[in-house]
Amino acid sequence: MSGSKKISRRELLKAATVAGIGGMTLGLSKVGEAASPKEKPPAQTKSTKKILGVDVIKLGGQGVISGAHADYGWQIQAGAVLAIDEINAKGGILGSKLELKFMDEELKPAVAVKNARYLATDWGAHLLFGVDSSGSAMAVGPILPELDRICMFDHASTHRLTEELVYGKGIKQIFRIAAPVYQESNLAALIFKDFPNIKRWAGIHCDYEYGYSVWALFKDTLKKYRPDVEFVSIAWAPFWTMDFSSHISAVMAAKPDGIIATPWAGEGVMLLRQALMLGVFDNIQAWFQCMGASVDILEGISNEVAAGKFKDKLWATARYIHNYPDTPENNKFVASFRKRWNRFPNYSAENAYSTIYVFKAALEKCRSLKTSDLIKAMEGLKIMTPAGERFFRPEDHQAIYNVPGGRVVKDPNYPIPVLGDLKVFPAQAYYRNPPFEPLAMAK
Amino acid sequence: MKTRLAILILVVLLALLPAYAGKYALYVAIHILLLSIFSLGFNLLFGYTGLLSFGQAGFYAVGAYGCAKILLAYPSLLVGIVGGVVIAGAVSLLLGFLCIRHTRIYFSMLTLSFGMMIFSLAWKWRDVTGGDDGLVGIPRAPLEIPGLFKINMAPMENYYYVVLAFAILAIYLFYRIVHSPMGLTMQGIRDSETRSVCIGISVRKYRLLSFTIAGMYAGLAGALLPPLESTVTPPLAHWSHSAEPVLATLLGGVYSFSGPIVGSVLFYLLKDIIVRFTEYWQMCLGIIVVVLVMGFRGGVVSIFSRKGGQR
Repeated sequence: MSGSKKISRRELLKAATVAGIGGMTLGLSKVGEAASPKEKPPAQTKSTKKILGVDVIKLGGQGVISGAHADYGWQIQAGAVLAIDEINAKGGILGSKLELKFMDEELKPAVAVKNARYLATDWGAHLLFGVDSSGSAMAVGPILPELDRICMFDHASTHRLTEELVYGKGIKQIFRIAAPVYQESNLAALIFKDFPNIKRWAGIHCDYEYGYSVWALFKDTLKKYRPDVEFVSIAWAPFWTMDFSSHISAVMAAKPDGIIATPWAGEGVMLLRQALMLGVFDNIQAWFQCMGASVDILEGISNEVAAGKFKDKLWATARYIHNYPDTPENNKFVASFRKRWNRFPNYSAENAYSTIYVFKAALEKCRSLKTSDLIKAMEGLKIMTPAGERFFRPEDHQAIYNVPGGRVVKDPNYPIPVLGDLKVFPAQAYYRNPPFEPLAMAK
Repeated sequence: MKTRLAILILVVLLALLPAYAGKYALYVAIHILLLSIFSLGFNLLFGYTGLLSFGQAGFYAVGAYGCAKILLAYPSLLVGIVGGVVIAGAVSLLLGFLCIRHTRIYFSMLTLSFGMMIFSLAWKWRDVTGGDDGLVGIPRAPLEIPGLFKINMAPMENYYYVVLAFAILAIYLFYRIVHSPMGLTMQGIRDSETRSVCIGISVRKYRLLSFTIAGMYAGLAGALLPPLESTVTPPLAHWSHSAEPVLATLLGGVYSFSGPIVGSVLFYLLKDIIVRFTEYWQMCLGIIVVVLVMGFRGGVVSIFSRKGGQR
């Protein structure tokens, strides 16, 4: 090959590598250029005509859109896109259009933090939202003051986010639109306090913060109303558990009257199917599947519900259910969502959809993109959403709204199961209220 | 001479980065430096001693949690970082004593198991580690030597310089280690354990030394993380995190000094850029890594050597 004009493989690879590294370095330096001076201001395209001073309001979202739990991130994205399209079709917010960038959180706190930093300091997001995992939420929350951005949390449900970080540490940039763990723990206790024959309770719970807090709150609240109940057995299932037979056998050995379970998404479906196979529903009076009214679980157990295999003993709730409330806002949202995506919205979708409208209301109220102004506008905000009226409690920035629990039933009006025999309680009755005492959560 | 000039220019460019780069670019640069330190340590075991570890993320997490606990109790950056490295070193010495008795796949499986044990500990020992929510609110404490100086670390630029200084120091020390008689002995053990034993080298002692130093490098990378992120969580110890230095080193080049560093730059930037544009980033990254590994046998750095795969 020596003396030939042909390019050798080595030279070709060398040139390609130099070009590749150069390209990436340019990409990185572009990040720097775009951010100059030092940090990119949120507003990129100034316009004198716009009230908010920008042509485009940038919304940075994130959720899990890969792996076994990807449907939750997809639902967040779908809900947000629907709201953004509706608002943009009507001219945007105060004349500024909305633009979305959505990133994969991967259920990893480090990735969620990196995404938030990228969206805020490089892409130039004015507002942040989303986040599926509680661990990710607890990691993103503390960096929000440094980023000087509000983040509306749409799914992460740990009570610590609002009780510790907002109420305790005063991180005012955190807001949460979704119901926290009070929903599935305290609400379940309020429902089952009225079932005098269910005296022996067992739990099959996620072996992480979510499971611990639900079990602790459920026991505390139920015991206040029903000193006669006993908590006879508990089994902890690590993340990614797919075989629950040992957990089910362990709790059934204690002969419980009722079981409360927290595994969610595909894990929840697997748990319920395995409980059916092991004949659990012949031997108990009630099973409360905490997030069992999420669309992915309802779709997953649709055939079993239609066949009556749960014997009307399966109860559930969620952070929103598509057949409640029967209001024009909810009916319109569900119809629009189904038309656009050919599916029912789960709570992540409604939470994200409502998030965008909360941002709209806050921006129209304060007419400013400054974080401090937006915080003031959102504290104490009341807004009608598909899930009902939400009120953002100023003390902990938690949205207060009530979602019922009920039996999982087949309804001829819906292609998938819904919640029937709804038990509705005012949110104030089952939310924890400030001043907050730390929750004792021994396993 | 040429190499020294290139290194000098690179260091000057890195030192000037805060002047022309935004906050996110600095954040990315810090992460690349951390991955470089992490990968260098890993390659002391893999490339120089011939031991493939799948548990380095465990020591990374020990360094991170150690630093975080110190900073939460006593807000001094230097104490936190040095403390994290010392704790990671102690843990790697202890586990190394058990692991280096085996080689090849048995060593890899042992390191994987111990790494996942640390992950489980971080997940379950909630009173100390905060469980799956991790430790939050870790301060980016000032860099302080009482009576001498105190530098505020709140601006990202200041912290970048701390990480850069630690990275340069770590790389320099690594260079001295691998070119010292000790480093050459490790390479001798890698190439022929039998010959090394025959000439009177205590193979286990050098393997333990290599394992401990690699653990300390992982611990240093981990200890530099909490002040940046203000949080530490169990996934830092997960085996999938241990795969990052493996991939970075394979990409850059196992048998070259700069391979893990170049690989870290490539790996991090590739992921960071792809993830912005598509939710199918894992597939895209996978394809690119396969192409790079197949196209650059011996790593990307080897293409710049006169002979491919030159050490």
